[in-house]
Amino acid sequence: MNKEKILSLTDLTMSYGSKKILNGINLEVYKGQIIGYIGPNGAGKSTTVKIMLGLIEGYGGKIEIFGEDIAKGDFSYKGKIGYVPETAEVYDNLTACEFLTFTGELYGLSSENSEKKAFELMKEFGLEAAFHQRLSSFSKGMRQKVLIISSLLHDPDLLFFDEPLSGLDANSVMIIKEILAQLAAQGKTIFYSSHIMEVVEKISSRIILLVEGKVVADGTFEELQEQSAEGTLEEIFNQITGFTEHKQIAERFVGLVSEGSAHD
Amino acid sequence: MTDFKSLQVLDYFKPLFLKVGIDYEMMRKILQLKLMMDSRRMPTIFNGSKVKKEGNQFLKSLWLYGLYGLLMLTPFLFFGNDYIFQMSIIFSLLMFILMSSMVSDFSAVLLDIRDKTILHTKPISNRTLNAAKVVHIMIYMFLLTGSFVVIPLVVSIFKHGIVFALIFIIEIVLICCLVVVLTAFAYLFILRFFSGEKLKDIINYVQIILSIGIMVSYQLVARSFEIVNLKISYVFEWWHLLLPPIWYGAPFELLLHQNYSTEMIILSVLAFVGPILSIALYIRLMPAFERNLTKLLSDSSRRKKKSQRMVNLWSKILCRTEEERTFYRFSTLMMRQERELKLKIYPQLGFALILPPLFIFSEIRTRSFEEITSGNGFMFIYFSLLVIPTVVHMLKFSSNYKGHWIYRAAPIQNEAVIYSGTLKACIVNFFLPIFVVLSVILTAFFSLDILPDLFVVLLVAIMVTLIAFSMMNGEVYPFSNAYEHTQDMSTFKVFATMFIIGFLAFLHFVISKIPYGLYGYMILLIVTIFITWRVLFPKKISEVS
Repeated sequence: MNKEKILSLTDLTMSYGSKKILNGINLEVYKGQIIGYIGPNGAGKSTTVKIMLGLIEGYGGKIEIFGEDIAKGDFSYKGKIGYVPETAEVYDNLTACEFLTFTGELYGLSSENSEKKAFELMKEFGLEAAFHQRLSSFSKGMRQKVLIISSLLHDPDLLFFDEPLSGLDANSVMIIKEILAQLAAQGKTIFYSSHIMEVVEKISSRIILLVEGKVVADGTFEELQEQSAEGTLEEIFNQITGFTEHKQIAERFVGLVSEGSAHD
Repeated sequence: MTDFKSLQVLDYFKPLFLKVGIDYEMMRKILQLKLMMDSRRMPTIFNGSKVKKEGNQFLKSLWLYGLYGLLMLTPFLFFGNDYIFQMSIIFSLLMFILMSSMVSDFSAVLLDIRDKTILHTKPISNRTLNAAKVVHIMIYMFLLTGSFVVIPLVVSIFKHGIVFALIFIIEIVLICCLVVVLTAFAYLFILRFFSGEKLKDIINYVQIILSIGIMVSYQLVARSFEIVNLKISYVFEWWHLLLPPIWYGAPFELLLHQNYSTEMIILSVLAFVGPILSIALYIRLMPAFERNLTKLLSDSSRRKKKSQRMVNLWSKILCRTEEERTFYRFSTLMMRQERELKLKIYPQLGFALILPPLFIFSEIRTRSFEEITSGNGFMFIYFSLLVIPTVVHMLKFSSNYKGHWIYRAAPIQNEAVIYSGTLKACIVNFFLPIFVVLSVILTAFFSLDILPDLFVVLLVAIMVTLIAFSMMNGEVYPFSNAYEHTQDMSTFKVFATMFIIGFLAFLHFVISKIPYGLYGYMILLIVTIFITWRVLFPKKISEVS
């Protein structure tokens, strides 16, 4: 494989007030990798992505993207990045057409070009009829598709997908999985986080597990399996994060649900 | 995409933007989109099919600002001979209006956190993005100020000459800058020390105060004409240095009256240096502002549950079933915590609170004090009842109207309790406090003898609430509609309820002439309320036990 370095994080730290979110992350990402970035809620996954996009300032350590230190203030690296935010935020009083054309333009595409491309892509997702409807009327899954399109319009080299599959049905998930695989085969680098372990297990060429702002596991799925002697990624995840009480919690929870029942 | 007039004007300043390193084309694109979104402020769940009015609501309200300008500012141009005096008053009013409309109308622009994920992830410099934000606000500021001062400005040309008007214009521009920056500072300060929820609450209260302020100033305008003839001359005090409106009054003295005293020079210098310094500071603090914006989403400072003791007590007293109590408590929470609802209802309540005393005070000028206190002036309290239909109508709406699936999903035995619980909460939370305050004021004025009358008024208020509810709300769940439909209230129904209130006031007046008539009326009202309540909210007997 081509070993071109796309992204590197050196001793990345971040804290809000006295609360430490990231505790020194070291990471190097190479061209064509699909990185599954996983971890429990609040481990700092989204924060890492946001820092890399320059949405959050005041981090410690060094971030290099495409060989450039982003702290230098040159924002042009963002032009080669596609981003799907975790909170599916859009300007929802715009139509899909308007929103996508606008995003394309922000990335420097011409208005006609980005509208045409957006329409073609929407069509592939079976959303051509909704192209001129307002985003406020879209379902969660439709919105997610629009966001995925908006992140790809400018043919980026590096993708940051934060929970890209939320709200999508099983068939759409299959399409997206395939799209990611083919994009990576073309040499694009994909950095994505998800809570659906089965998907991460299947499509990632490398898995990074983050716990309390630290990388605790890093490698291919097979490598992780060897390290931990567990079968599925979900089990590995549970094991590494030291979470074994799910049965007990569920028992207590169900106990509380049936306690003092209203219909007796 | 539509091209906006304001952007075409902006194009003339293109070289200026390019000079300071702003990507003009990009900024223009962002602005164009933002303006387009503003013209569709209403989120369309119906995809354009049912939305009646589309268009920039702000632009449509501009003529109203023109009217305020005529009524509130113009009279002061004729106020005495000291320019500094009249202009300081005009600028105080102008700053008040600008500042509060800045907070109420443009906070959405200044505090839009979607910008962060959508715009800041794109290859655009922060400078361009910030410029887009500021220009977006400036466009509106310009329109608003423009329509506000256009009439006084024209009048000032005729009254004081063209030089005066020129100074006026320049100062208005300076004031606009100052106001934008001051508002941003205020937000910065609040966000630094409080949570985002607190800021939203503060914005909410400013909005409410603004609407009440405008309504009251309406009433006061007439009076302002009377003091125009007064002769007051200006005397400088050191603390005037802290009041921006006075800074802006000074240049008129300096340039037109050739008053070259030290204080006038200092004040005039402040007028020019103030905005420039604050803009410089603003640019420096912008990153800190953006950082703090992320706090908007958090509600971190709240940990403890608020005490519900009073609410629980009232619900125990007023509601018969546990189900009704649940809805009473729910409605109370909605009424207290939904900002949009408060924004629509509190100004009405403020109006109800202010109207009767205002009428009584204006009576004082024409008649003697004794004459009034022994008369029927307390009947002015009926004017307060006029807001009841609007308030009741508003209970149908909520900005979180989508949550109303819960009414359908929950196994509610008797749907009538939803309405009765809400109405009871409305009476206790909204009408009762106003009524108590008014009663205290009125009894202080008219002696305790009017207590039976006031009690009758309270009963009538409850009656009107019921009438308004049955006429306007029908079978619509409370808090279940989007605000876009608030205009659905037909004028006929509004007039009908007004007529009913008028009639009831008249009836009260007539009956109070009959000995003991008032007590009979009281009993009659109680019985009617009791029966109406039962008819409107029947106790459904549940067959399954």
